[in-house]
Amino acid sequence: MATSFGTPKLGTTFTYQTLFLCKRFPIFPSSLSRTLEVGGFLSNGRRSHSFSCGRRFTTSTTTVRAESTNGAGSNAARHYDFDLFTIGAGSGGVRASRFAANFGSSVAVCELPFSTISSDTTGGVGGTCVLRGCVPKKLLVYASKYSHEFEESCGFGWLYETEPKHDWSTLIANKNAELQRLNGIYKNILKNAGVQLIEGRGKVVDPHTVDVDGKLYSAKNILISVGGRPFIPDIPGSDYAIDSDAALDLPSKPKKIAIVGGGYIAVEFAGIFNGLSTEVHVFIRQKKVLRGFDEEIRDFVGEQMALRGIEFHTEESPQAIAKSSDGTFSLKTSKGTVEGFSHVMFATGRKPNARNLGLEEVGVKMTKNGAIEVDEYSRSSVPSIWAVGDVTDRVNLTPVALMEGGALAKTLFANELTKPDYRAIPSAVFSQPPIGLVGLTEEQAIKEYGDVDIFTANFRPLKATLSGLPDRIFMKLIVNAKTDKVLGLHMCGDDAPEIVQGFAVAVKAGLTKADFDATVGIHPTSAEELVTMRTPTRKLRSSASEGKADSDIKATAGV
Amino acid sequence: MASLGRKMLIDGEIENSKEEDVHYDFDLFVIGAGSGGVRAARFSAQNEAKVGICELPFHPISSEVVGGVGGTCVIRGCVPKKILVYGASFGPELEDARNYGWELNEIIDFNWKKLLHKKTEEIVRLNGIYKRLLSNAGVKLFEGEGKVVGPNEVEVTQLDGTKISYSAKHILIATGSRAQRPAIPAQELAITSDEALSLEELPKRAVVLGGGYIAVEFASIWRGMGASVDLCFRKELPLRGFDNEMRAVVARNLEGRGIHMHPQTNLTELVKTEEGIKARTDHGEELIADVVLFATGRAPNTKRLNLEAVGVELDKIGAIKVDEYSRTNIPSIWAVGDVTNRVNLTPVALMEGTCFAKTVFGGQPTKPDYNHIPCAVFCIPPLSVVGFSEEQAIEQANSELLVFTSSFNPMKNTISGRQEKTIMKLVVEAETDKVLGASMCGPDAPEIMQGIAIALKCGATKAQFDSTVGIHPSAAEEFVTMRSVTRLVTASGKPRTNL
Repeated sequence: MATSFGTPKLGTTFTYQTLFLCKRFPIFPSSLSRTLEVGGFLSNGRRSHSFSCGRRFTTSTTTVRAESTNGAGSNAARHYDFDLFTIGAGSGGVRASRFAANFGSSVAVCELPFSTISSDTTGGVGGTCVLRGCVPKKLLVYASKYSHEFEESCGFGWLYETEPKHDWSTLIANKNAELQRLNGIYKNILKNAGVQLIEGRGKVVDPHTVDVDGKLYSAKNILISVGGRPFIPDIPGSDYAIDSDAALDLPSKPKKIAIVGGGYIAVEFAGIFNGLSTEVHVFIRQKKVLRGFDEEIRDFVGEQMALRGIEFHTEESPQAIAKSSDGTFSLKTSKGTVEGFSHVMFATGRKPNARNLGLEEVGVKMTKNGAIEVDEYSRSSVPSIWAVGDVTDRVNLTPVALMEGGALAKTLFANELTKPDYRAIPSAVFSQPPIGLVGLTEEQAIKEYGDVDIFTANFRPLKATLSGLPDRIFMKLIVNAKTDKVLGLHMCGDDAPEIVQGFAVAVKAGLTKADFDATVGIHPTSAEELVTMRTPTRKLRSSASEGKADSDIKATAGV
Repeated sequence: MASLGRKMLIDGEIENSKEEDVHYDFDLFVIGAGSGGVRAARFSAQNEAKVGICELPFHPISSEVVGGVGGTCVIRGCVPKKILVYGASFGPELEDARNYGWELNEIIDFNWKKLLHKKTEEIVRLNGIYKRLLSNAGVKLFEGEGKVVGPNEVEVTQLDGTKISYSAKHILIATGSRAQRPAIPAQELAITSDEALSLEELPKRAVVLGGGYIAVEFASIWRGMGASVDLCFRKELPLRGFDNEMRAVVARNLEGRGIHMHPQTNLTELVKTEEGIKARTDHGEELIADVVLFATGRAPNTKRLNLEAVGVELDKIGAIKVDEYSRTNIPSIWAVGDVTNRVNLTPVALMEGTCFAKTVFGGQPTKPDYNHIPCAVFCIPPLSVVGFSEEQAIEQANSELLVFTSSFNPMKNTISGRQEKTIMKLVVEAETDKVLGASMCGPDAPEIMQGIAIALKCGATKAQFDSTVGIHPSAAEEFVTMRSVTRLVTASGKPRTNL
């Protein structure tokens, strides 16, 4: 149901606020005292009353009163330069800042100067998603997919006199022009929302003060949304390795690349380089790629990628990289050494950018992974300091950072206590073929519900029957046997990310398999398979002999 | 099983008790092995009914005497059409590849004959699969033309001319429909969609008459393969019955892809000339073409079924009149699919076939549900919709409507340079927050709309859409991130729109 209706408004009994009484009132004077509209978020909170957002505080009990963190009512008149100061203008930071400004508060955001490669001194408005993640990645996926489309098109009667060749520099130049454009758009979005953008490195100096390259700004609330960065383990020769930042902006196309890692970044880049006819070797520690995903999806995507020419080296841990006299690299693993790589890429995880921000010093608690620890409302252990996005290492996806940023702005400035809702978050892997999913994996569903029915389809799409390529599509529905609710939906194949979005609405709304079945198909599409799965592939019952799944396999239903 | 279903249905009718002892050759005899007929036959057989089905011999171009197991969808509709759409889509795709760094020859050849051959191979394969489906289900297939000779008797004229009669407790008519031709001088020079799917040569110049989905699909197919295409249609916009705003989007996109649009235009005559077929419009224009396609509607295949003789009522366009359970005025005769001209879509025929089998042989009277049937038009880029258009919503809704639209440049175009926006639209009833209609025109629209259709079918609210997290970066995520209302429309009155 509507979150806006379902969310309880903060009343006087709201408990977590009462815990934050001990923080000292900040003593830093405002360095930008011209900004007076500090009370913008305090007054009535409701947007319809925003004309009254002056400096006067009201005593409305329905207001989220961050000022209570000052510890005493007498301090309530404290003026800050900003209602909100955001460090980091990526997806979460921009969203929170814009929305906060839209709710009538005064907001500043600081961000490092633009660069395609992130570091302690470079970043750029737009953040990982726009500059070093989703967007450039997807653009390269588009580019690399063409080689497969050329192959497909031959089956449909298209003929190439000479084989299509790819020019890497054209792609990278066009990609970077697009990133510059998006960076500009993001800056404009902030400007149009009335958010002040400060270029520089922000550091927290006390619970209400941020230092940006020597200049101090006071703020009622500070938001940390500095994201994460690729992490490369320290092995001999790791300096030779590139990470995903660099891989998105290489001066020339790799001839032969080793990709270390089995997560979504690894499989996405494997697809990209393979599509651009680089020889690709993927080294994974486990037997399969994509740990944490549904096991059948893991098997399927691995097979399909291998069919397209990617070589997997399973159960191999990297031990050292060495440079040979001809300039190529060799990768030594627990099983042996593979030579002749023009590039070695590590896609071995990302770490939160929470270091050197002054957070520990002001008492912000960190998790053992170095992420900022936050409560359900994205509040850190310091009541005036909040954090959203990858720096909190909850669910590291752009739309989740957007959700967290939006929820935070509502909580702080719209008088609407809002928790981000982490149920049934759909996501995609832009491997080739891509994956889309929402809800639980089969393994999670069994653990949580015991009795589940599994519906699967594994078919050759119409396009492949003509192209003659070995492409297939795999789909899976996981249904609670007792309630008929669809618990999880997984797909690997063309258009999976686009297809799954609409189904995510249905899964999030708690719809049943019967609801799926009652929906008429759109013919001829791949997606219609998901509403025409009549017979369970297997019924898993926890009650069957000592927790052993009772597998009842049936043939897939026909036309 | 069978008698249970029958009892429930004809409960109270006098024939009921007497009929129990009558012996029939079949519990069900189906005339027409297309989507609806095959589905009904198979599912009835699965419910223990003894089922026979007849179908005309296979041929890509249908007539009174040829057809083929699989029917329109498989042999002359959805499937071959989509294959050609795939083939045609590569044309513009290849153009888009250049800015992504691909170096391609100036002109890339397209071999129509190869595609045609592979398409035919594929539909022959599917024809075989359908036949196997029937035999695996225990349905007896007869090749020949079926006629109804009595309320419980069917006559099949076999290929050698011999006739056999079978008695059946129930007869199901599922003979589908066929393309119609307008009566203009030299209309025989033109072709219909049947022939268009099997042309020997790819036209360099094509004229398409019609504004429906078949017309825009073939216009897109030929244009994508490099032909020059003129599209003539009677209304101001193509795709009558669809949301007006989306119709305008489709028109703009077709034009943007190089199709010459002739709105409010009809063809008055065709003339065979040296340079090709000359098509004269009612504006006095003359269009020269290698191929003229009539996509001017389809008519139910009821003429040679002898239905009048047994008293089955037809409507004025010749469609079989049926009740909510697909039953005709003759209690033992039923009809599903295009021959009933309800909603002429394959998945609807499947639904009707399934409901028929449940009703008659499953002991579970079931009405097909025509609410929220999603559908797609495979023009390039495609259109897909579910639920009400804005215009229908204005007529039907009880309160004010909130219209949310999103018009954006798809990410792929940012580099390819293609100038074409994707448009999405949600029509929401203000009072209930229910999403009444969703539409999209842009790449992958038909794939994207399927899941949305489940949500609408189950009465999802806008708040439920909003509470769903997006999949980034996708086009589909726009459907769950439409925050601000584009316009408010009063349900009863005139919309406040910029259209």
